[in-house]
Amino acid sequence: MSREAYQVPSMGTQNAFGNDAGYTNAMATDTPSVVYLCGECSARVPLKRGDQIRCKDCGHRVLYKERTKRMVQFEAR
Amino acid sequence: MAPLVPSQEELQRRRIIGINAETVTNIPSTDFPGHWPGESHSWALDKFKNGFNVEFHRNDPYEASFSLIGLDAAVANAFRRILMAEIPTLAIEYVFVHNNTSVIQDEVLAQRLGLIPLKGSVEGINWMQWFRKESEEDDGTPADTPSDFNTVVMHLDVECTINADAEPGEQDPRKLYHNAHVYAKDLTFHAVGRQEEYFAGDGAIQPVNPDILIAKLRPGQVIQLEMHCIKGIGADHAKFSPVATASYRLLPDIKIERPIIGEDAKKFAKCFPKGVITLEPVTSAEASRPGSGYEGHAGELKAVVRDAFNDTVSRECLRHEEFQGKVKLGRVRDHFIFNVESTGQFESDVLFLEAVKVLKLKCARWKRGLSDLMA
Repeated sequence: MSREAYQVPSMGTQNAFGNDAGYTNAMATDTPSVVYLCGECSARVPLKRGDQIRCKDCGHRVLYKERTKRMVQFEAR
Repeated sequence: MAPLVPSQEELQRRRIIGINAETVTNIPSTDFPGHWPGESHSWALDKFKNGFNVEFHRNDPYEASFSLIGLDAAVANAFRRILMAEIPTLAIEYVFVHNNTSVIQDEVLAQRLGLIPLKGSVEGINWMQWFRKESEEDDGTPADTPSDFNTVVMHLDVECTINADAEPGEQDPRKLYHNAHVYAKDLTFHAVGRQEEYFAGDGAIQPVNPDILIAKLRPGQVIQLEMHCIKGIGADHAKFSPVATASYRLLPDIKIERPIIGEDAKKFAKCFPKGVITLEPVTSAEASRPGSGYEGHAGELKAVVRDAFNDTVSRECLRHEEFQGKVKLGRVRDHFIFNVESTGQFESDVLFLEAVKVLKLKCARWKRGLSDLMA
C-alpha cells in the first residue's frame, strides 16, 4: 500500500483497509499468505494482504510474526 | 657425623597442627632437609613407600571417601585440583536451535543444556578424542570437523499440546497438556559411525539424572534443537568437571590432658558430634594411682575420645571455663580424608586414579623438559 493510498480509518468500518480505492481486490488475491500467531490463543492465522487483522478462532486483534526458520548456533556456556 | 634421629614422640608431636580458640599453630610441614639442625630429611622413595597408606571409608559408585596418610599437602592438593579441573569429560558444547518458541531464551536454554551431566559407556568416552576448536590467536589452524570420534550428537524435539483426556477443572499443567515440562530425559542420542558399537544399548549417551527440568512449555510452543557434545576439561568450563565436590580435610586430633569427670564429662561429650567422645567409668586401678587426677572418683564417668574422625573441630569445648587446659585440639598434618563425589560420568574411585594418571603425565612432561634443558 502506497503512502498516498492511506486513509484515516473511520470508526464505522470494520476493516481499516477494506473497501477503499487504494488497491484492487485482484492484487490482494495474488499476494502470498503469511502465517501469524494469535496473541491470545496462539492459533496459526494465515493472512493475505488486505485481510482483516484478526484471529479466526478467538477474534483477538493482536497477532505476532512467527520466529525465523533459520538455524541459530549457540555455545552452551 | 651420622644424622640425628628424632624420637617417635617428637615425630608424632611434629605431625600435629595445634588448634586453639583463636589461633592455629605449627602449620607448615618441617620434614625437609635443613630445617632441623643435624637431622636428615632427604626424600627417598622407599621411605615414602613405608610411610604411605591408603584407607577406604566408603566407596559408592558416585561417592567415595578415603584417607591418604603420609604425604605432603602439596601432593594432596594437586590431586584435588586435578580432580576438579583437569580430567576430561563429555558435555554439550554447541547448540543449534532450529526452533524455540518457549518463553526461555535461546542462549539461556543453551547454557542450561550445557550443564546437564551426561553418562555413557566409559570405554566409548575414553575412545573419544578432543574436538579442536578454531584457535583464538588466528594462526590459521582450522577447527576440527565433527566426526564420530570427537562429537556426540543429541537432539531435543518437543512440542506442547493440549491433553484432550484431562479431567474437567484440572489445574495441573502437567496433566492439562502434553510435554508441559521438558526434562533431561527428553534428550535423544543418535549414534554416528563407530559410536554405534561403543554406545550400544545401556552404554548410550544419556543424562545421569533424567528428571532435570530444562524448560516449561504451554500449548503451541515448540523446542527443536540439535546438540553437539565434545570432550573438555573443568579448567575450560565447570560443565566439564567430572566431580560435584572433591575436597579433603585433615584428620582431627583430640587429646584429653587432664581428667574430665562426672557432669563435666557429659557436658564435654555434648561439645562434639555424636560418637566422638564416649563416657567410661573410672576404674579402681586409676582411682588408686596417686597424681592421676582420678583419686576418690572410682565408678564415676570420665570422658574418653572414641573416634576423632567424625569431629568437625568446632572448638566448642574451648569456649567453656571448666575445660580450660584439660583438652588439646589439633589435626594430623599428613592424614588427608578425601571426599570425591562424581557427577556420574565416571565412578569416583576411578576418577581419583585418573587424577593420579594426570599428575604422572605432568611429571613426565616436566622431566622431559628438564632433560631438554640439559641437552
